[in-house]
Amino acid sequence: MISVKADIVVIGGGPAGLAAALKARQLGAEKVILIERDTELGGILQQCIHDGFGIHRFGKRLSGTEYAQEFIDQTERSDIEIKLDTIVLDVTPDRMIYACNSLEGMFEIQAGAIILAMGCRERTASQVLIYGDRPTGVLTAGAVQRYINMEGYLPGSRAVILGSGDIGLIMARRMTLEGISVLGVYEAMDKPGGLTRNLVQCLDDFDIPLHLATTVTKVHGHERVEAVTIAKLDKNRKPILETQERIECDLLVLAVGLIPENELSRNAGIEIDPATKGPVLDNTFMTSVPGIFAAGNVAVVFDLVDYVSLSGEIAAQGAMDFLNGKIDCDEPYQKVETGENVSFIVPQRVRPSANKTTFFMRVKSSEKTALLECTADGESVLEKRCRYIAPPEMLTFDLSCCGSKPLEVSMKKEEKL
Amino acid sequence: MDIESINKIKKTLKKNFPDVELKMDSDERGILTLKGECRDWDQVVQIGHLVAKQKGVKNVVNKLRVPGLDIPCKDYSDYIAMGNKLGVVDDVDVVIIGAGISGCGIARELAKYKMNILVVEMSDDVATGATKANNGNIHPGHAAKPGTLKAKLNVEGNRMYTKWAEDLGFELQRCGAMGFVTSNLLKPALKVAYNQAVKNGVDGAALIDGKTACQIEPGLVKNGLGKAVKQAFWLPTMGLVEPFQVAVALAENAASNGVRFWFNCTVADVITESGKVSGVVTNKGIIKAKYVINCAGVYADEVSAMAGDECYTIHPRKGVIAILDKAKAPEYGALCEHVTMETIKLTLKNKKSQTKGGGMCRTPEGNVLMGPSAKEVPDKEDLATDSESLGYAMGRGDNGIQYSDIIRFFVGSRPADYKEDFVIEMSPISDGVINVGGIQSPGLASAPAIAKMVEGIVAQHAQDNGRPIEKKTDWQPIRKRKPQFRQLSHEEQGELIKKNPSYGKVICRCECITEGEILDAIHSSVIPCSVDAIKRRTRAGMGRCQGGFCQPRVLELLARECGKEWTDINLNKEGSNILVKSNRPVASVKEAKK
Repeated sequence: MISVKADIVVIGGGPAGLAAALKARQLGAEKVILIERDTELGGILQQCIHDGFGIHRFGKRLSGTEYAQEFIDQTERSDIEIKLDTIVLDVTPDRMIYACNSLEGMFEIQAGAIILAMGCRERTASQVLIYGDRPTGVLTAGAVQRYINMEGYLPGSRAVILGSGDIGLIMARRMTLEGISVLGVYEAMDKPGGLTRNLVQCLDDFDIPLHLATTVTKVHGHERVEAVTIAKLDKNRKPILETQERIECDLLVLAVGLIPENELSRNAGIEIDPATKGPVLDNTFMTSVPGIFAAGNVAVVFDLVDYVSLSGEIAAQGAMDFLNGKIDCDEPYQKVETGENVSFIVPQRVRPSANKTTFFMRVKSSEKTALLECTADGESVLEKRCRYIAPPEMLTFDLSCCGSKPLEVSMKKEEKL
Repeated sequence: MDIESINKIKKTLKKNFPDVELKMDSDERGILTLKGECRDWDQVVQIGHLVAKQKGVKNVVNKLRVPGLDIPCKDYSDYIAMGNKLGVVDDVDVVIIGAGISGCGIARELAKYKMNILVVEMSDDVATGATKANNGNIHPGHAAKPGTLKAKLNVEGNRMYTKWAEDLGFELQRCGAMGFVTSNLLKPALKVAYNQAVKNGVDGAALIDGKTACQIEPGLVKNGLGKAVKQAFWLPTMGLVEPFQVAVALAENAASNGVRFWFNCTVADVITESGKVSGVVTNKGIIKAKYVINCAGVYADEVSAMAGDECYTIHPRKGVIAILDKAKAPEYGALCEHVTMETIKLTLKNKKSQTKGGGMCRTPEGNVLMGPSAKEVPDKEDLATDSESLGYAMGRGDNGIQYSDIIRFFVGSRPADYKEDFVIEMSPISDGVINVGGIQSPGLASAPAIAKMVEGIVAQHAQDNGRPIEKKTDWQPIRKRKPQFRQLSHEEQGELIKKNPSYGKVICRCECITEGEILDAIHSSVIPCSVDAIKRRTRAGMGRCQGGFCQPRVLELLARECGKEWTDINLNKEGSNILVKSNRPVASVKEAKK
């Protein structure tokens, strides 16, 4: 088996991994290896041909592929070692990576630091308990996107979409443009799951109806989907039988949530936060295993790619600090608690010596106006007024000094602003 | 049957179902045919069961109907027309109908002989019925009613699995099974179970004390039951397999010994001439045959009727099984090293149901399985899941198992007859037709013994008819297992990639399945033509993302290797193509080639 050493190994060549590898190189890491399982860099962005990427970072609306290409070009110009079509089989707590590809076979890399950037996967029909038959024509939105945008094939002609997350909305528009009749988007919750701009641009502009508090209760069809039964949900999320309705279609597209892909992390013994389903991170985006960092959707599912790239850069800075012995791994952590109306926060813990820390969070419920408050041992250290907050939109803020007191972040409702 | 017995049965029925008017016909074998109207489907099944239990009844043909309930019935007329139009397309010694575990096992066994054997399967692959949808237990044989064919073949079949696994290269884990009681009062129940196991001839069955139980099964201590277990019933021969792997292994071995498989081929009629079978009519033409072996699963009764021998009715009993994420197996401590049966207390409580439900076990690959449930349904093609059945399979939530750990749930349909026993015999009405019907649990465990028994029936019949069958000199019983990348050490993985670089390319990331393994499957002796067929052979798509990432890759490989268009690749059956049309017509594979 080939055995090599590297300063920093980044696992995953999507937006988080690309940003992390570039930043690590810029910060002076001599040998950076970027491992990607697909045949090209860019990750899921390669199948995102719609626009809206990079508004924060580049001040313009790029397509996913354009956004990725900005980073890919820089990476290819650098001396970062790129390993494509390569799968990581194991990561050990002492930062040994076992990976393989067809050209080099099996190899092991002893890494000074590792940045995990494996992204996420989609929830499936079974995971959201869709009952009935199991014919062809039930696909996740990401798979449909891949088939249509990358492979050039349509998986049906009359589609029902379950889930109003951004991917569901984007695919409603995309399928319509490809000549598939999109009969409606059904959302089990009573609020849409996607960004407002996508609701407007992908549904309203194409007259695609959105049905809230409604779900698919049954799939019908032996070989191919023939119909789905939908029903309204009561307050306890139970289907109201009287409202059941059969909709003839040949495609059920599921956009019912994303789950960070942490199988490698789990096997390395990394602690996972049940709220984010990603590793518990500290202010440097280091996981519970020293020297192993996480960035992008493997850490927490982000809403905007700009934040994904940012998280990669934070992790790269952390990995460099670790390499340079600037992180005192024995320094005790201070937990960051989630208070009123906060569903999760990343990082989940900080070290008192931390300088500026960037936090990412989501709220539980929508408010027109609210006050973001961060307290240290009950004393307010940061207040920020926020407008139109909603669970689909991630919020971010910086804290210049975390201190040694327990932190709590809450989003308080404000009657007037 | 004599009038006296019939009247007795009528009386029993009147007593139990006073409102039901029914007509009963019988033949000299003791086959009772029921006609009439019932209140609901459950009543139809209850009456069938009650009649089957009566003295002198060999089996029940249940034609009871429910007013207003549409019982879907397969219409074979189109297939017959297609077959007749094509005429005779083949002439063989043996046609085996159905490529489930029974059909594949029999094919492999008969492949020893100098016979031309053809397996016809209505679906797209082997193991698409009950064989693929069960929990893979190789039962020891303790549960079957003593004296039944089930009991005999289960115990024999269990024994034979060790050799099968060795010869055919599939994974068999003899984990053993344990039932235990936590109260001395329940010890007699264990004794009853033990006595039955002894009566059935189960190897190694033993009653053991709590201490010994904890030594064998450390999970008991881990679950805080260390001191509570008073006595246990230990069955060391319990085994676990991936059932579809067994069927694939059997089919591939049979095929390399000359057996042919036709998929998407539905038998629509059985041709008999003066009480002797001469062939079958299928949608792919007429196949002449000396023997027709009916392993048609839920359709076995219909095939038998086609041969003019309506001698049993299959009443499908569907069951939901849920597969949980492998990663969660260690968390669910109740899932111990061995398959731990429910405590006897629970077993007794559930005794009313026809088959066990709500159990938990694991697969050789380490997934946790919950279920199955059990529900009688009129429609043989009803494989729909529902929340009630899933709830039953999951144990009604009092076991701490989270729904969020489910990666897939599905339905299997047990092909049960009313005797709830196997029907394996040469038809006395249509000579040459061998029924292998009613093969529900423990059909998987019994499969080797079923195959042997059918081999015996064919050999004896051939002998009796003055044309004894001869063994081949070049029969090859061994099927070498193909490399399984995920199970190798990193060094071995490296060596494998050196030999063949396609093993260095992981296609299914959840289960770690390589392109090499998928190519091995595609280029095997029984060619898989659908994405699900690849899944059953390699596990690609069986993981937590359920093919979300690897399905396009598998589809691409299938299209490339089989020289097909992407839009021709099915999920499973004919007509289940995943992609409907190209949205870049110019870029289609064929065009690109031009």
